[in-house]
Amino acid sequence: MAVMALDSGDGSLVPFSSETRDSPVVYPIHHGLKPPVARLAISWSRGNSLRVSVFRPPSGNDSGESDGEVGGKVVEVKLNDGDPEISDGQWRRIAYGSVSPFALLQSRRSSVSSLSKMSMSPSPYDVDWWEYVIEYSKDISSLLGGSNLTRGPIIEDPKAVLKKGEEPTSLKAAWELMEIFYADKQSQEWLPERLVDWLADYDSLLSSTHATVHSKIVDFQKELVRLQVIENDPKYWEVMSSALAVGWLDVVVKMLRLHGSYQLDQLSNRETENGLVEAVAILISKMPRLRPELDARKLGECFKSKPDFVKAWEKWRAQITKLDCSAYWVQCDNQHTREGLRNMLHIMLGNADSLHRATYQWIELYISHFLYIRPFTMGFESMYSLAQKCMQLKPMSCYHRLIRLLIGILGENTEVVLAECSREFGPWMVVHAIELLTAGSEQTEILLHEERDSLGGISIGELHRLVYAQVLSSHALTWQIAPIYLTSCVKQGMSLLEILLYSQSVQHNQLLLKNIEICRLYELDHVSSSIMKVAGVYHWKHGRKGSGVFWLQQAQDAVRLNKISQQLFDSVGKSISDESFKQWEGIIELLGSESKTAVGLEFLHKYRDFKKSLQQVSGGKTTDAARQAAESLILLMKNPSTPQRFWLPLLYDSLKLLNWLEQPLLNVSQTNLLLNKLQELSMARLRPDFIEPNLPTHALSSVRIALATNLGRAILEE
Amino acid sequence: MAITTITEPPQIHRLPQHKYVDAVRWLPLLSAFDRFAVLALFDSDSDSSSVEIHSLTPTPPALTSQSSWVSPSRVSSLKTSLSHQKTIVVASTIAGSLHVLFSDPMDASLESEISVADNALHVGTHFMCRFDGWWDGVSKWASPMEFATGGYGFSLQWWDQRKPGGPVSQFKGNWAQRMTSGIVHSIDIHPSRKHTCLAGGSLGTVFAWDLRWQEQPIILSGVGTGDSLTRSTSESEVWEVQYDRYMKSTNLGNISSARVLPAMICSEDGILAVVEQGEEPIELLTEPCAINSFDIDRHNPSDVICGLEWESVAILTRS
Repeated sequence: MAVMALDSGDGSLVPFSSETRDSPVVYPIHHGLKPPVARLAISWSRGNSLRVSVFRPPSGNDSGESDGEVGGKVVEVKLNDGDPEISDGQWRRIAYGSVSPFALLQSRRSSVSSLSKMSMSPSPYDVDWWEYVIEYSKDISSLLGGSNLTRGPIIEDPKAVLKKGEEPTSLKAAWELMEIFYADKQSQEWLPERLVDWLADYDSLLSSTHATVHSKIVDFQKELVRLQVIENDPKYWEVMSSALAVGWLDVVVKMLRLHGSYQLDQLSNRETENGLVEAVAILISKMPRLRPELDARKLGECFKSKPDFVKAWEKWRAQITKLDCSAYWVQCDNQHTREGLRNMLHIMLGNADSLHRATYQWIELYISHFLYIRPFTMGFESMYSLAQKCMQLKPMSCYHRLIRLLIGILGENTEVVLAECSREFGPWMVVHAIELLTAGSEQTEILLHEERDSLGGISIGELHRLVYAQVLSSHALTWQIAPIYLTSCVKQGMSLLEILLYSQSVQHNQLLLKNIEICRLYELDHVSSSIMKVAGVYHWKHGRKGSGVFWLQQAQDAVRLNKISQQLFDSVGKSISDESFKQWEGIIELLGSESKTAVGLEFLHKYRDFKKSLQQVSGGKTTDAARQAAESLILLMKNPSTPQRFWLPLLYDSLKLLNWLEQPLLNVSQTNLLLNKLQELSMARLRPDFIEPNLPTHALSSVRIALATNLGRAILEE
Repeated sequence: MAITTITEPPQIHRLPQHKYVDAVRWLPLLSAFDRFAVLALFDSDSDSSSVEIHSLTPTPPALTSQSSWVSPSRVSSLKTSLSHQKTIVVASTIAGSLHVLFSDPMDASLESEISVADNALHVGTHFMCRFDGWWDGVSKWASPMEFATGGYGFSLQWWDQRKPGGPVSQFKGNWAQRMTSGIVHSIDIHPSRKHTCLAGGSLGTVFAWDLRWQEQPIILSGVGTGDSLTRSTSESEVWEVQYDRYMKSTNLGNISSARVLPAMICSEDGILAVVEQGEEPIELLTEPCAINSFDIDRHNPSDVICGLEWESVAILTRS
């Protein structure tokens, strides 16, 4: 991990206790502030970012004499120890693309295991399980790069020995290694040949640490244009024998055809030499291969069954030996050609020294052993001991990360493989490669899915998934795919998912709705209702009252809706002016549409009706309207949901109705009801928690007088 | 004339962008040879937003950036149009600003830009926002004088500038006694049928509100409608609706004016589909991630561009 330091002039912040073996790397931060720097504050931002706040000392002078500098700056430092071959954007693309194959495999696993439970089969891994895993592996592999890495150009340059294609990545190379050894059970029979192909595709990656056959060919390719007599250059033969040793037969044959003896003016006097070159070229292109098929551009003859292959192999070897012992070599004048070709024959005959000389890294030597010394190797047998032997023959101070992974795989050490995947290729690789690792090996399955106390009761597999989900969660664009991985974690996945969902911003509706959608998918109703509550409160607090009410209603949050209606009562009750009522009408409308969730709102709805009719009364003077208003008043007062503290304002508002001149609008029983309520109110006033409504002091008495008068008139009327 | 053929699946090309696609639109152009798309992008690495004009090259489709304009914040809505020999791109941002970009219609290079800041915008749209801040829905103009808005509670309002003071008509989305309500995310009005408002929103709901029969919305898709005739393609948010101008065998005149024209929708659960009244929806695209926006090319209605959640753009060609 990088260590932060500040290049603030004197550099006083830098010193380290240099007890660590590797000296720490110092990265300067360019904050652009004038020294001196008084204070630093460091905190984590989202994901892998550090937020460094740099403060300058407060200017000692009195105000007005500032030096025109800002007081401080905040610098965001991205700590990126990511893969140099793959950018962040590409990583995200891989992360998105791997969701579907992963989810499909998980659902297949669960259906297969439920099926096997029914049929009491001993293992869920039936024959067709391989097919699922290999399909998954191919899907993932296609994400990591083009399907054909070394597709050639349409018009071939005769001198272009190596075809240029898409740059291969180590990630894809690593994935293919895992696929070869763990997933693709069909190709176990011809494992060595698959390794030959693998090296042909990815040898260029290994050049980053040491020379490889690939790097030698690339170097030679550059010189090729300048060479007049190609066969006199020892490099020509060197490179060819190297390519032959690792089985790049097409490259070798193509290079052989560049031999000077093929030129028309030379053909006549170099007949024997040309015959020898051509004979070797034909032998190379006829090499028997133990594999079902070959690419069209690759050379060799394929044999599916071992007996056929063995027969063909013996015949081919006999032909080589015959050529090696033939008398034509004496007639060949060109020493370079003679020695070069015979060296190639020795390689094909499996001469250990020749192979050793022709290869550069142990993996290349290893491959050449499979091709020419132990062509009958099938499956995994003794592969590791051979690898160890090759490593001794070609010792290297450090290995490429792919080679370290390969050593782990050959050593059949799952822990090493996992550790290499995790360290070199990151959490994405581990999580997705575990599916390959467990395919078919019950031992690995147990190792990875066994619950461990040291990990807090979860398995290694789950731990890695949780780590990966954590990485996804920390990015604003990938958090939405974290739930797929979290839900596949039996022990702690769901609780972490809940935390993830709770931690998302509720500010913007689109994001909020995406969040709620995830809750719906995983049936987390309680989470979504909490989120909606949070959103409701957020919007309400920020003055978007309608949004607030909407989300609280969606959450069916009766408590808060009641609170809101209380608030509404208060503000509506404060004045009955037309304007203020209009302001709230929209919200009351909104609240009213689903009044079942909040009892108090029912009152508010009625209150609105009452207010409306009261307005009509004050506008015109029809008795009918007044009677209707009085009806609404009685309804309101009868309703148990009408808050007590509202009674007096209501009655005070309707004084006009109580004192209606033409006739009493309330009958005796109605008036008695109101008087009783008033009495109740007077009693309640004695309690300490009573809130005095904001009304003139004479309000109570004037209501009482009006009611009494009305009672008298009503009695007279009846 | 009516040739009924088995509908072939559309050709789909997905083009990764390595940036979040906030909105996509086709750019109407004068030239018949070049095609351009406008993308509102958000780069999470640099935390910056931009509106970019990309040219589309066919076989295989590829987008190449032609010109770009840095937006002060993320784009919430994007529209394009052609006027006075200039193509116009209008972008609104989540911070509340509005930006009008003018581009050359021949080579799609951006020429000028006008911005309206947050506070100025508020005055200009005061008429619209009589709801005092609680409204945050969508709107669509039907004519220079009339427009429709939609928002919370599946509500729609019809406004007329000649009649200020409030909406001319209102629709409250309580046609079904549901436990939960939803939000209208998108509205479309067909230029030849201004009396019908097409709306899409939560719970996969797509409905048409005819001003002539205001009480009875026509539900094209949605859950819990209880109507066996309307099938639902999606159960989650319908982010965008547009009338689908691509017709194979029938022409517009033959369809009764009471019938709702076919509409295209895109949804949170990754579905791009054409829904038609009383018919099975046709799914054009099903993605594992959300489809946040789409646009049908005005000149080639067979072509659709979609903005996908996973930082990519999909281009569909219907045959």
